[in-house]
Amino acid sequence: MKELKILIVMIILVLIGYWGIEPLAHSIMHKHIEEAIHKNNLPDYEYSDLEPMPHSIKGDAKRGKETVQMFCTSCHGIKADNIPAPMDPKTAAESYGVVPPDLSNLGALLDEKFLYNFLKDPAKASEFPKISMPAMGLDDQQIMDVIAYMKSIAKKDMDGKEATIEACGRCHSIKYQKFYSDASPDVLKKYLGKVPPDFSVIHRAKGGEYIVAFVNKPQALLPGTSMPRVGLNKEATEKIEHYLGEIADPNKEARTKIGIGVLLYMLVMIGLTYAWKKKMWKGIH
Amino acid sequence: MERKEEVKSKSWLDQRLAVSDLWKVMMSEYYLPKNINFLWSFGVLTMLVFVILVISGIFLLMYYKPDANMAFDSVNKTIMMDVAYGWIFRHVHAVGASIMFLVLFIHMARGIYYGSFKPPREIVWITGFLLFVLMAATAFTGYLLPWGQMSYWAAQTITTLFEKIPFIGPDLVIWMRGNYIVEDATLTRFFALHVVLLPLLIIVITAVHMYAVRIVGSNNEDGTTMTKEEKKEKGIPFWPVFMAKEYFVMSVFLLFFFYLVFFNYKFAMDPINFEPANYLQTPLHIYPEWYFLAFYEVLRGFFFSETLGLIAFAISMFIILFLPWLDTSPIVSGKHRPLFKIMFWIFVLDFIALTILGKLPPSGLFAWLGLVTSLIYFAFFLSLPIISMIERKQVESGGRQ
Repeated sequence: MKELKILIVMIILVLIGYWGIEPLAHSIMHKHIEEAIHKNNLPDYEYSDLEPMPHSIKGDAKRGKETVQMFCTSCHGIKADNIPAPMDPKTAAESYGVVPPDLSNLGALLDEKFLYNFLKDPAKASEFPKISMPAMGLDDQQIMDVIAYMKSIAKKDMDGKEATIEACGRCHSIKYQKFYSDASPDVLKKYLGKVPPDFSVIHRAKGGEYIVAFVNKPQALLPGTSMPRVGLNKEATEKIEHYLGEIADPNKEARTKIGIGVLLYMLVMIGLTYAWKKKMWKGIH
Repeated sequence: MERKEEVKSKSWLDQRLAVSDLWKVMMSEYYLPKNINFLWSFGVLTMLVFVILVISGIFLLMYYKPDANMAFDSVNKTIMMDVAYGWIFRHVHAVGASIMFLVLFIHMARGIYYGSFKPPREIVWITGFLLFVLMAATAFTGYLLPWGQMSYWAAQTITTLFEKIPFIGPDLVIWMRGNYIVEDATLTRFFALHVVLLPLLIIVITAVHMYAVRIVGSNNEDGTTMTKEEKKEKGIPFWPVFMAKEYFVMSVFLLFFFYLVFFNYKFAMDPINFEPANYLQTPLHIYPEWYFLAFYEVLRGFFFSETLGLIAFAISMFIILFLPWLDTSPIVSGKHRPLFKIMFWIFVLDFIALTILGKLPPSGLFAWLGLVTSLIYFAFFLSLPIISMIERKQVESGGRQ
């Protein structure tokens, strides 16, 4: 009975300490992040700080293709439509600081409202003043046509890995999955000021909630960062977050399974050792 | 003729190594008092955790690369993803290192409360203190090895502290790091210390610690002294009676331990440490592992003077060594010392408060709380001579036994 009392006091003290160094400390240290997420209502898939789309204007994919060929393909390739990139990735990276994305699948990854605003003014929509893409001066009709075209050619059912590489792979590497960014680290460092972090275990370092909020509005969580807002839609964001979680912690299932087995084994051991203790201590006291 | 018979009755090993005599001295005829509770099991628990750390450490050693360019990947890719069950060994090693200190702190607190450091057990206390310091050094050097952001910046910050030592400080820091900043040379030497020198010293001092306990015997709840004969008559043998209970305590402990290993390991594996070390980018918050937080908070507690903080930090660790000479009360066990009891519980709560404050940003209210809790930490040790004096007077006047 007395030993039980000691045990209870011990457990309470340990729990107080644990509460202090884990939940309490984290809530205080991450307060600014929580506040930023709350203030900007992240993730904001409506991109509510941007101008609304002119829904009265109907986009036409066929006209869109013509517009794209006129304005975009001098920098961008479109594999899905057999339009090759005008430069090889290395030359392109050295010319622009980063490889201009292939336009094939962006229609499925990006939010259309974001895309509309991005085509109007890339620097403003991406919140990245140094961005290499200039405003092309397209009118609303042309932009709506381009969006309709991009949506018509995009692959709808990309898996997590494809989505991640398409959306992030021009700057970010995933070393442990043997994927290396299109532009070399040196080139990226010149363009962005630092080498963007590798994605191999970033989900363990940052956590899913942070990643989702950060990708959605980088400047809100890390003011001054060279990460542009890329304008991913909800589906793509979730796919990418899930994939990053999977590759960062591939042992999740095994851990639960083995863990339960080990704990059950220890429970049996507790029973056996208790029985032996009872037997040995009979008559002592 | 007689001699021959004696020889016959002994086993081969016995004749040469006297193993059965050793067994008797160390185990079957080493008697413990009956009035001890399960807190006396924590000594053997530290041994258990140490063995777990050595075994898991050896397996990690087979794949770990002590090189600044390879260390992070060898831990996070090779061990965590490629080697079959490598992740279990890393989890066990990381959680084990953390839990070692929980067990050590409880073991030490038991010693303080029941007066186990008092004559004739000073050597037990001193060797125990050395083990604590060695364990801290092992944990500190080991924490650098994964070469993550927190590894790097914790090592950078703590080694910088030595800069303040008069005359030799700045040179000492460079000598320790092998470079002007924490770099590859630092990693390699920390590795050498972590896997060879420090564990070796721990094993040697543990042997002395246990030998000393066998000589002076275990203390007990009431702090009563018993002769060998009294113990033999009224006590229990270490083997098998005490160990029968110990195995039960171990099983319960291991249930808790493996729960942490598989389901709640984040406290021992900081998320920030999953970012590779980058000497150009300081993390927003730098803090040591939880077991150093209390001492770290004493360092920060004197926020108005860095020098004072450093002196306090050094004293806060080493004052523990001098307990046998600070607390000279003739009454051994805290169980029979009402004044001491009050101070002891204030100390325990203060230690927890220091640990919690150690992780929080040292600004505003937290800075002042840090100062107050640091002062209370020292107040406990300084109150001991006074309490001892009062109690000695009480005993001399025959008021208490």
